[in-house]
Amino acid sequence: MSLGHPTGLVALAAVAVLVLLYLYDRRRRTIPVGTLFLWQQVPMPPRDRRRFRPDLLFIAQLLLVLALVGAYVRPVLDDAEPPPPGTPLVVVLDVSASMQAMEDDGTRFETARRRALARIADVATGDDVLLVTAGSRARVVLPWTADQASIRAALEAIVPADTPTDLAPALELARGLAADRAGARVVVFTDLPPETSGLAPEVRAHVDYVQLGRTDDNVAIAGITVSTPPFHGPSDTTATVDVRNYARTTREVVLEAHVAGTAWARRTLTLAPRATEHVLLTRPPASGPVVVRIGTDDALAVDDHATAWIGPGSALDLLLVTDSRALADAFAGVAAAIAGSRIEVTSRAQYSATPPAGRRVALFDGFVPATLPLATNALFVAPPEGNDVCPSAGRRRDAVVVDWDDDHPALAGLGALQAIGVAGTSQLGDADWGDPIVLAASAEAAFSLLIAGERNGRRTACLGAELGAGLASSDRLPLLLLTLATLRWLGEPFGPSALVVETGRPTLAGAGPTAPIDGDVEIVGDPAVVTAERAGISRVGPAGAERLVLANLFDDRESDIGRSGAGEWLATVHEDAPPPERGGRPLARWLYGAALVLLGLEWAFWRRQQMPRQQIHGEAR
Amino acid sequence: MSTAAPDRPAPARVDELGPRRVDARAPRRVDEHALARFNRLALTRFDGLALHVRRGMGERPGERRFPGHAQPSGVEVEAYSTYTPGDDLRHLDWHAMARLDALLVRRFTAEREVLFHILLDGSASMDAPPKDGKLASARALVTVLAYIALAAGDAARVAVLGGTGPVVTSPVHRQRRSALAIFELLATSSAAGTLQLGAACEDYARRHPEAGAALLVSDLMTDPADVERGVLALQARRFEVHVLHVVGASELDPAGSFTRGVLVDVESGATRPIALDAGIAALYGEVLDRHLSALRAVAERTRCSYSRLVAGTDLGTFVTGELARAGLVRRR
Repeated sequence: MSLGHPTGLVALAAVAVLVLLYLYDRRRRTIPVGTLFLWQQVPMPPRDRRRFRPDLLFIAQLLLVLALVGAYVRPVLDDAEPPPPGTPLVVVLDVSASMQAMEDDGTRFETARRRALARIADVATGDDVLLVTAGSRARVVLPWTADQASIRAALEAIVPADTPTDLAPALELARGLAADRAGARVVVFTDLPPETSGLAPEVRAHVDYVQLGRTDDNVAIAGITVSTPPFHGPSDTTATVDVRNYARTTREVVLEAHVAGTAWARRTLTLAPRATEHVLLTRPPASGPVVVRIGTDDALAVDDHATAWIGPGSALDLLLVTDSRALADAFAGVAAAIAGSRIEVTSRAQYSATPPAGRRVALFDGFVPATLPLATNALFVAPPEGNDVCPSAGRRRDAVVVDWDDDHPALAGLGALQAIGVAGTSQLGDADWGDPIVLAASAEAAFSLLIAGERNGRRTACLGAELGAGLASSDRLPLLLLTLATLRWLGEPFGPSALVVETGRPTLAGAGPTAPIDGDVEIVGDPAVVTAERAGISRVGPAGAERLVLANLFDDRESDIGRSGAGEWLATVHEDAPPPERGGRPLARWLYGAALVLLGLEWAFWRRQQMPRQQIHGEAR
Repeated sequence: MSTAAPDRPAPARVDELGPRRVDARAPRRVDEHALARFNRLALTRFDGLALHVRRGMGERPGERRFPGHAQPSGVEVEAYSTYTPGDDLRHLDWHAMARLDALLVRRFTAEREVLFHILLDGSASMDAPPKDGKLASARALVTVLAYIALAAGDAARVAVLGGTGPVVTSPVHRQRRSALAIFELLATSSAAGTLQLGAACEDYARRHPEAGAALLVSDLMTDPADVERGVLALQARRFEVHVLHVVGASELDPAGSFTRGVLVDVESGATRPIALDAGIAALYGEVLDRHLSALRAVAERTRCSYSRLVAGTDLGTFVTGELARAGLVRRR
């Protein structure tokens, strides 16, 4: 069969007009509502459940329109038997974490793969198939091919990832690729219900949507938070683990935590249906990677473990370069109050003559030396005018803090910085190596009070305020806290020793090594962005300067695996069919004849409908 | 950057809240139509009101007193404590020392700001049916609540949950003239997509752990258990939660809007034919009553306030009437 005038198919819109007229005639209309949640609880008479109840007259009119349109496009019945029409197929497979959920007949992904193979087997020999996976990113696994062996091999090689789902980009990709092949169909296999898939109804109308899965049996680690007080070691670290039961039955699980391979804690939890327990773990035996597992035989295993990082912590280890006896005494008091801290005091002249090495952090009071020892991070306090590091434009008096960067790690945990008032300060200018993170204002101007950044491979900070005497008094406590917080940031290892990420979510890698050694992580771009496909611990190098990437699946949508049941929704809108071939017997005049017969039948039917009314009216008269 | 405001600006007329603003975080260009809609809210009529909370004490100093959290400085003396080195000598009670021969230091009632997290449901159901105007009323309500909070010296952050993209979250605003920026942020957001309210609240609470009060503005067209899950998640993060239910007139009385047709769920696309006669309307009324009672029961169980705004009704009456009775709004 071929069409002599295929563009005439546009006339099929007349069918829609006919339906619209019919619906209008029946005084029906669509009413948008926020949700059917309430209406579904209202019992309706069965006759009202059907939206469309065509009668014989409508069917006759529809057949008439179809016959006229069919004749208009001049169909031709080919004499020679043409090859069967091709129906290329794009298969979109959801490979997110929830597809690993175990059902009675295997995992959801295995079921999806079986259904996909069956669907591909229905495709005629010679028709092309394309495979797309939908995880946190969309990927073309297999380009257009008709080789059934390649298709089966590619399907068998796919394994679900530990990432969240984003179906929309995969569908866009699939529909874009399907547009290259006339008449191509797109079929999606996923465990997401259509209404929560994130796909608009008009997009779903173009694809065959197959939903899988039922069980809600899952207990997951929904989050883990590690907190270490400043200048404290790992023994003072706490971890809070959120354990959530997504099932509708009570579950009992055993939680076990290990730090750097050493057992830390073991708890037995009883979780009510859909409840969350927050488990506090204290006094870890060591620093290093934390692995938390819950012992459960639930349907989804990927969210039964989580990782976190406990840093080694660092005590205050400071070289104080000052000529102020009062400042040295103040820091001696601070050192006495912080266990394990160490402060070495030296004068400016002594430092200039023989700079001592071996300290991670140095504080220079009113003094910027010409050189700094390697591996020493520095805080310059009240820097003098004309130095090369901290641009200073003179002195100001009676300034107060007016603004600060909440998100900068040097200010983490600090609040109420507007309480800081300084009697004397350097008016810091713009530094090309750092950003102003605290701003102050005096009666004359607003200016930077604290600048922080990285300079020549070292963390550097400039603080305009004069510290001087009485630093430990209650009036100047906020300024002391700001100084200590800056010293803490300066004393951290350069670049984190572990990077904690969520699977499937690109995260800035920051400073440090970025070459993957093992595990399933991808690091690309400048600045480097790390993306993990698998939950667990991976290493990035080079060897000898490694750091860990700790990836977790903390995604409510993936862990909440309960579904009301499976279903299949076929596409209601199809792409253009392949162009017809020419030649053969024309069918137009037969269709025009059929239209004429249908018109006669319709007239007869209409007359039959009118007759009882006329009789009734006649009797009435 | 967050901005401290040591000197609060004098109350400004609404007409002054336009293009001459100096807030760097505010939009640079002001749409005239948006400005006209903003001015119609007549926000200055809400001057003198404040949002009342019992918990949710923030970190930054403010004008709100929280008894039971004594601190070393302040205005109102709340307690005494034994002097320890480092305490401010100005707060030593010399009379007590003369009588008792003991060094006692005055402690003062904590004065802090409250950070109001105003969470607006941005799912498609908020704009269905459009003639109800639920979204417009919800936007206006959020703007008014934010203005009342800012004018009373508190802080406000607005988040639009749901929609088709990521959650739209404003920075923390602390000045009353930021109300226009909030209004414009809301004006640019549209109602689209689906929303799992419980999961969205859990996600928001996880990403914003700072204590405060959460005002949840939604049409609550979902399972009350999902609402309860969201409220409990917010309360678990020490938020004081207030639920503000925006309901459309046609949701309360569908008979006034249609009699026959096909109901279409704007979020899922599901349909259901309907022929609304008196019997069906009565059954729907019973279902709706059960739903509203369930929502109120959730509020009572979780000890949060619950107020209902019928979209299109006078917002001023709702704020000074219903919200005042619910204890959320008071005179300063």
